[in-house]
Amino acid sequence: MAAAVIDEGFWGAEATGIAALEHELARLRRAAVAQAKERGLTLARASVLNLVVYAEREVHARRAARTISALALRHPSRGIVVLGDRDREGVLASVRLHCHVPQGDGAQPVLYEQILARVRGDFDERVASVVIPLLVPDLPVFLWWTGTPPSDARHLDDLVKLADRFIVDSADFARPDRTLPRIADVARLRPSGVGITDLNWARLTHWRELIAQFFDVPAWRPFLDGITGIRAGFAVDMDGRDIHPSQALLLLGWLASRLGWQPVEALAPSEAGGLLFRMRRADRAPVMVRLRPRFERGLDAGDVSGVRIQSTAGRRTAEFVIKRAPDDRHATATVIVDGAVRSERVVPLPPVGIRELLGEELAIVGNDNVYEDALSALMALV
Amino acid sequence: MTVTLTNPLREGLRLARTPEPACLVIFGASGDLTARKLMPALYNLALQHLLPASFAVIGSARRRMTTDAFRDELHDAVAEFSRTRPISEEVWGTFARSIHYVPTPDDRSYDDLRDVLARVDAQIGANGNRLFYLATPPAAYEPIIRAIGAHGLRGERGSSRVVVEKPYGHDLPSAMQLTSVVQEVFREDEVFRIDHYLGKETVQNLLVLRFANSIFEPIWTRQYVDHVQITAAESIGIEERAGYYDSVGATRDIVQNHLLQLLALVGMEPPAAFDDRSVRDEKVKVLRALRRIPSDKTGELTVRGQYGPGFIGGERVPGYRDEHDVAPDSQTETFVALKCFIDNWRWEGTPFYIRAGKRLPKRSTEIAIRFRVAPHRIFTREASDGLEANELVIRIQPDEGISLTFGAKVPVQGLRIRSVNMDFGYGESFMVDAPDSYETLILDALRGDATLFTRRDEVEQQWAFVDPILAGWHEGRQGLATYAAGSWGPEQADALIERDGRAWRRP
Repeated sequence: MAAAVIDEGFWGAEATGIAALEHELARLRRAAVAQAKERGLTLARASVLNLVVYAEREVHARRAARTISALALRHPSRGIVVLGDRDREGVLASVRLHCHVPQGDGAQPVLYEQILARVRGDFDERVASVVIPLLVPDLPVFLWWTGTPPSDARHLDDLVKLADRFIVDSADFARPDRTLPRIADVARLRPSGVGITDLNWARLTHWRELIAQFFDVPAWRPFLDGITGIRAGFAVDMDGRDIHPSQALLLLGWLASRLGWQPVEALAPSEAGGLLFRMRRADRAPVMVRLRPRFERGLDAGDVSGVRIQSTAGRRTAEFVIKRAPDDRHATATVIVDGAVRSERVVPLPPVGIRELLGEELAIVGNDNVYEDALSALMALV
Repeated sequence: MTVTLTNPLREGLRLARTPEPACLVIFGASGDLTARKLMPALYNLALQHLLPASFAVIGSARRRMTTDAFRDELHDAVAEFSRTRPISEEVWGTFARSIHYVPTPDDRSYDDLRDVLARVDAQIGANGNRLFYLATPPAAYEPIIRAIGAHGLRGERGSSRVVVEKPYGHDLPSAMQLTSVVQEVFREDEVFRIDHYLGKETVQNLLVLRFANSIFEPIWTRQYVDHVQITAAESIGIEERAGYYDSVGATRDIVQNHLLQLLALVGMEPPAAFDDRSVRDEKVKVLRALRRIPSDKTGELTVRGQYGPGFIGGERVPGYRDEHDVAPDSQTETFVALKCFIDNWRWEGTPFYIRAGKRLPKRSTEIAIRFRVAPHRIFTREASDGLEANELVIRIQPDEGISLTFGAKVPVQGLRIRSVNMDFGYGESFMVDAPDSYETLILDALRGDATLFTRRDEVEQQWAFVDPILAGWHEGRQGLATYAAGSWGPEQADALIERDGRAWRRP
């Protein structure tokens, strides 16, 4: 297979073992410092975390490597990209050392490191032994799993046990209704717990903030306890074949867990692959939930495109609507009470790339209990 | 009785808590501060979803102007001064709809303001929460506060708070007089006195550095610290502020507020909690322990200077007295250096050197903690020639960061020691734009968190320290030295510290 040849232009030189790799790292570091000196700069070698990326496809590995490089200034890290290749034998590591020199007066150039470890063949038992000696001591370990995490897999368990934080992107999950609930089990692999980051959950942060803001207004707060219906749209591509409802499901899980709703039944898939749920509020009143796939230009498949919350309080009815604007950078947040628009404002809702999401998440080491609650609520639902 | 329901959706949201719905009333709305600082800050808060869903700004000033004209003026100001550019017209459009203008040329017109405020409040459901912002020249503070009280501008329910800009008085009696007027209308916990230095990220980081790490606090005492230097250097002159600056001078403009705040943060004991009461209690204790410089000691412990002509960045610049709107015989100081002591257990005998000046070679605000040299020298003199005492420098602006110097062996055969620098830059470590200090402070005031604002007793202690120095100068006990623009101040300032066998840092 042609892909077995490592592209040294991208990944750097190849090393035959851990000792050779350390040697190569030292050599590259000195070369980078010498080069910087010629330009009259001093070079700081910086590392605030270990970031282990697990990928089974070279294209994923490269994308992750590029994301780490782009984040190097904000989160200089020892990046260890583990690329699993079951079709070939042996363990091969290659080193790539990056020196990022920002432009501008007085800027401090930062040196950071990226290592590619290519594990081959039947590597499940061996993969942790490749990663452990490469970790920088005393720094937190973030494990970024690209693709769908397998269940009952030795290599996943071993790597998670090394990690302080486990990063996945549920937008990539093939069957989110099956995989999402399993993510919660991963957290229990280590006695002290592993913090879980779902980049797809991070994409919801602005949505959650905007929804919460409606109910900061005292006059509208009573409607939060009287929600009767939720409708959310999420994007699909033109032919509508691939449905990725993870993000919309997480949004529902979040509302359900925060507001104490219980699932009653998951109704048969609605037209066009939508999902329909009947739920029950804490006061036992019903809540109807519809998650609908829609074709939206400019959105990635699975992204939430709009939310409509229907509610009653006493004799009054209200609708709280957030709709993404066609320009892809804003949303309109509208409040309708008893049929009259009470407030309508345009708020920024820029698309967030994987780089910004990851950068944001790397700043957090602790657990996100609200996410775990949302996951538990989902488990009861699907 | 109103029951405030909590919002369960708020839990765990990583964005900072947004404040409750409120109306912000800005007095001095046609002025420079509103255009350059307040509105750009509010717009950027809107951009970050940090303003409440129900929020309105009501601008007021003497000038007659329609709301539409006011909005247009602010649009252009925000487009020019916002830290994020270009501005989003969509977000501005929504934000602008919540902006109103009411002229208050005379006392009667405050009734109009009250009516508009009540109408807007009801419209948006602000629940009577109001924040009054005094962005006017200081002479207008007292009449406006009295008008707020007399015309019933405070809501019948909800919270009412007032933000007072600097300067807060021009000496101790005037500050106390202002406080007594403020307290006719507002309780002390409703008063937010701005010192925008406290809104700066690094200043808050100073507290984090000291109190979130266990390695610095044990050595943060007279036993290990030789002395402390606090510098606020500006390369600019007085620009368009001549009229104001000539009547105050560097001591009132920078030292009384900003530098004494920095000194308090460096010198304070660990507060029991990070809340407004605990932090400010500790700051006041330090300011109270700050040894006064009586007027007859000003010759020994202070230096004042005024810049003459010189060069800044290769450009010829005029002397202070040649500046537009400055009297040719002005006695106003544009540079001040002080040597002071904190009389408490922690700092007994450790000098704090403070200097501030305009037209110095570069812009730099920093705090330097100089540690004592190692107690016993085991290396030969030749080996340790290049070695200096350890120094921890907290850079506040520009280029916020922290650096630590320590001795390291030069990698050659034989032993040679040189001081090297371990440097940490906030900008490079986090790669995010720090929020502007006005964004931080407006948000805190809307939330009612006064930790980063100056309390009445702090202001009074600050004036009580500065007043005798100014009196001593007035009595002629320390002459006004001149220094060339582009130098590090008058020679007398060097002498002040060199007498003690020490030297100013070159920032």
